[in-house]
Amino acid sequence: MDRAIIVDHLVKNFEVTEKESGISGAISSIISPKKKIIRALRGISFTIQPGELVGFIGPNGAGKTTTLKILSGLLYPTAGFVQVLSFDPWDRKPEFLKQISLVMGQKNQLWWDLPAIETLELNRAIYEIPEKEFEQNLKELTSPLGVENLLKVQVRKLSLGQRMKLELIAALIHKPKVLFLDEPTIGLDLIAQQKMRDFIYEYNRRYQTSILLTSHNMDDLVDLVRRVIVIDEGRILFDGALEELVSRFAKEKIIKASLTKEDDIQRIETIGKVKKIAFPEVVLSIPREVVAVAAAELLQNFPIADLTIEEVPIEDIIRKVFRGEMARKKH
Amino acid sequence: MLEKYLQIFKISLVQEFAYRLNFIMWRVRNVMQIFLVFFLWNSVFSDPTRMVFGYDRGKILTYVFGILILKAIVLSARAVDVAGEISRGDLSNFLLKPINYFKFWFTRDISSKALNLGFAIVEVLILFILLKPPLFIQTEIISLFGFLVSLVLAVFLFFLLLFLINLVAFWMPENSWAAQFLFIAILTEFLSGGVFPLDILPITVQRFLYLLPFPYLMFFPLQVYLGKIVGSQMFGGILISLFWVLVLAIGLNIVWNKGIKRFEAVGR
Amino acid sequence: MSKNAFLSMLMNRLGALVFLFGKILRFGFFIAFIVFLLKGTNTLAGYNLNQTLFFFLTFNLVDIVTQFLYREVYRFRPLVVSGGFDLVLTKPINALFRSLMGGADILDLITIPPLIVAVYFLGMSLNPTLVQIFLYLLLLINGLLIATAFHIAILSLGIITLEIDHTIMIYRDLTNLGRFPVDIYKQPLRGILTYLIPVGLMVTFPAKALMGLLNPRVTLLSLAFGTICLFVSLKFWNYALTKYSSASS
Repeated sequence: MDRAIIVDHLVKNFEVTEKESGISGAISSIISPKKKIIRALRGISFTIQPGELVGFIGPNGAGKTTTLKILSGLLYPTAGFVQVLSFDPWDRKPEFLKQISLVMGQKNQLWWDLPAIETLELNRAIYEIPEKEFEQNLKELTSPLGVENLLKVQVRKLSLGQRMKLELIAALIHKPKVLFLDEPTIGLDLIAQQKMRDFIYEYNRRYQTSILLTSHNMDDLVDLVRRVIVIDEGRILFDGALEELVSRFAKEKIIKASLTKEDDIQRIETIGKVKKIAFPEVVLSIPREVVAVAAAELLQNFPIADLTIEEVPIEDIIRKVFRGEMARKKH
Repeated sequence: MLEKYLQIFKISLVQEFAYRLNFIMWRVRNVMQIFLVFFLWNSVFSDPTRMVFGYDRGKILTYVFGILILKAIVLSARAVDVAGEISRGDLSNFLLKPINYFKFWFTRDISSKALNLGFAIVEVLILFILLKPPLFIQTEIISLFGFLVSLVLAVFLFFLLLFLINLVAFWMPENSWAAQFLFIAILTEFLSGGVFPLDILPITVQRFLYLLPFPYLMFFPLQVYLGKIVGSQMFGGILISLFWVLVLAIGLNIVWNKGIKRFEAVGR
Repeated sequence: MSKNAFLSMLMNRLGALVFLFGKILRFGFFIAFIVFLLKGTNTLAGYNLNQTLFFFLTFNLVDIVTQFLYREVYRFRPLVVSGGFDLVLTKPINALFRSLMGGADILDLITIPPLIVAVYFLGMSLNPTLVQIFLYLLLLINGLLIATAFHIAILSLGIITLEIDHTIMIYRDLTNLGRFPVDIYKQPLRGILTYLIPVGLMVTFPAKALMGLLNPRVTLLSLAFGTICLFVSLKFWNYALTKYSSASS
C-alpha cells in the first residue's frame, strides 16, 4: 500500500433547518421549515503517505473536523472519492475500524463512573487485542504520560488534563495505523501542550503511524508538523511544507532595530514600512528581495545599536492566507 | 469472539453497581407497585372460592407475582439510554469501533435483566413469606415449554420495540424522551398486562389488542403459564409473536440505516 | 416566571404535547380498568362503580393540582447544586414560594378543569347532602395542605442533604397507592397509609366524607393533622435554611 489516505474532489453538503426566535418564529418553523444548504467541503483533494505527520489548519467552520469525520467513516460524502488504508471509510468494516482512531476533544469514551481501566479492558475485548500485547501497549502508553497510578481511579474524580491523557490512551490502545486528532492541545496549559506535542511526535516516529491533526494553535504546527494543509470555507488553499508556506506567502521580512538616539520617523520610513515604533525599538517591514540592502542602509545612515532580520510570525502569515489575500493572487 | 460480549456484560454490571442507590430505589418502587395490585386483587378475592374473569384467587395472585418476575426478565433494559447517546452525539464513539451497536446494547440489556431477575426472585420469596398467597404451579410440560418459548420471543420483542422508539432521537433529539414516555412507560406498561390482566376487558377489545405486539410481552406468556391459553390458541399466539419480532427487526434495520445517514455526529 | 417556562416549553412543544397525551392516556387506561373490573366484580372493598371512580378522581384531583403547583420542586436539586439557590435567597420574592411554586406547568392547567367537571358530576350522582359536600371540599383542601407540607419537607431535606430525587420518587410511589380506597389494604399497611404516610387522609377521607362514611371525630382529627403537618413543615424549612451551606464556588 503506497498511500495511507487518498481524498479526491471530496464534496460534503449539510442541510439545516433555520430556527427563528419568538413564538411566531417557532410556529412557522413547524409549518414551513426553512432549509439551508451548508457547503462544508467544496471539492478537496490530497493524499497522505504512511507515517506522515500532517497538520490541517483553518478557521472555525473551514471543514477540518468534517474532513476528519468523513475519513473515519462517521459522515457520508456528498460526492468525491475517499480511501483510507485501501478501505472505503463509510463501509465501516471491522478490519478498517481496528486500524484507525479518531480523538475529538469533547467526545469522551471513558465510562464516567468507572475507573479508566474498565473502559480499557472493554476496548481490549472489542478490538480483540491479545492479552500480552494489551499489557505491552498499556505500559508503553501510560509511562510517557505518567498516568500509571490513575488507571484505577474513577474517571469523574480526575482533572481535565488527566482525563484527556487517559482518553488518548483509550484511543491508542489498539495501535492504530492511522490516527486522526481533532484539536489535541485545546484546553491544556502550556506545559501539558508541549508534553502532548512531544508524545505525538514520538508516537509518530516510533510506530510510523500516519497522523492527521487539526489545530488553531500555531505552536502545534511549528513544533510538530512538517507538512501543512490550509483549508478555508471548504477549499484547500495550500498543501505543502511549512517552510514553503512561509516563503511563498511571506513576501516580507521583519527588521527589528534598536536605536541609540531618537530619530525622525519620516527619515526611517524612507527605508521601509514602519510597523511599530517605541523608542528605542523600531520594527520595519521590508520586501524579502531587498532586506539585505535595507539592513545595510540602516546600519550606515542611522544610529543603530542592534539589528535583527526575522520572518513574519506564522500567525500573521496564516491570517493572510485566511483573509484570501493569497486566493486572490493566483499562483 | 464471545470474550467481547462477556466484557460488555461485565462492565454493564459494574456500572449498575456504581449507581447502587438508584438501583435499590428502582427495586423498591417495583415492589411498591406490586403492593397496590396485590391488595386490590386480594380484596376482590376476599372470598377464596370466588371465580371472576376466569381467575381464581390462586391464579390471579400468581399473575401478580408473575408480573414482578416477568418485568425483570422482559422489561428490564439499559437500551433506554440509546436516545441520549444519539442526541448527545456519543454514538460516534461506537461507530468508530468494530462493534455491532445492536449486539452491544442487547448484551447490556441481558446484564440488566440478570441483575433485576436476581433481585426479583428474592423479593418474590420475601413477599411470599409475608403475604402467603396461594400460588399456581404449572405442571403441564407443553404449557411450560410454550411459556418458555413465548418468554424468549418477548425478550427479543421488547428489545426491538425499545430500540426502535429510541431511534426517534435521530430525527428529534430533544423530544425522544416523550416518545419513550408514551410508548414504554404508558402503552407498554398497560397493554402488556403490567397493571391489570387484559382479560378483564371486553372480548372485542382483547381481539384487537392481540393484533398488537404489546400483549406478547408479559400477558400472553403468563396466560400460557397459567394454562388459560392452550393448544392451537397458544400456538397461534406464538406465531403472532414471532411475526412481530420479524416485522420489528426488519423495521429496525431500515430505520437505523436511514438514521445513520442523517446522523451529523453533532457537537464539534 | 411562568411566561418563560411557557416559551421554553413551546420550543419543546411536540414533546410536551406527547407527554400530555401520555398522561391523559394513562388516566383513560385506569378508568377503563376500574369500569371493567367492577363490571365483573360488582364491588371493590364494598364500594360500587361510581364510588370507586369517585375515589380515583379525587386522587387525581389532589395529585394533579399538587404537581401543577409544585412542579418547581423537581428542579430544586439542580438549583441548589449550581448555586442558583443563593440568587433565590437574595431576591425579594419569598424563597420558599419561589422554590415551591415558581414553575407552574401551563399544560397541566388544561387537564384540571375537565377533571373538576368530572368530579362534580360523579360526586353529585352519589347524592350527597350539603354538609357532606362542604366536608368534602374542606378535607380536599386539607389534603392539599398535607401535600404542600410534604413538598416543603422535601425541599428542606434537599437543602440539608442535597438528596431530592429519590425522596420525591418515594413520595410519588406511596401516594400512588391512594389511587384506590385504602380499605383494600390489609392492616398494618392500611394504618400506615392512612396515618403515617397519610395518603388515606389526603385522598380517601375526603371522598368518604362526601359519601357520609366518615365519622365527625375522624374528620376533626384529619383537619388537626393537616394543620399540624403544615406548621411542622414550615418550622423544618426555617431550620433547614439555618443549615444551608452555599454550594457556589
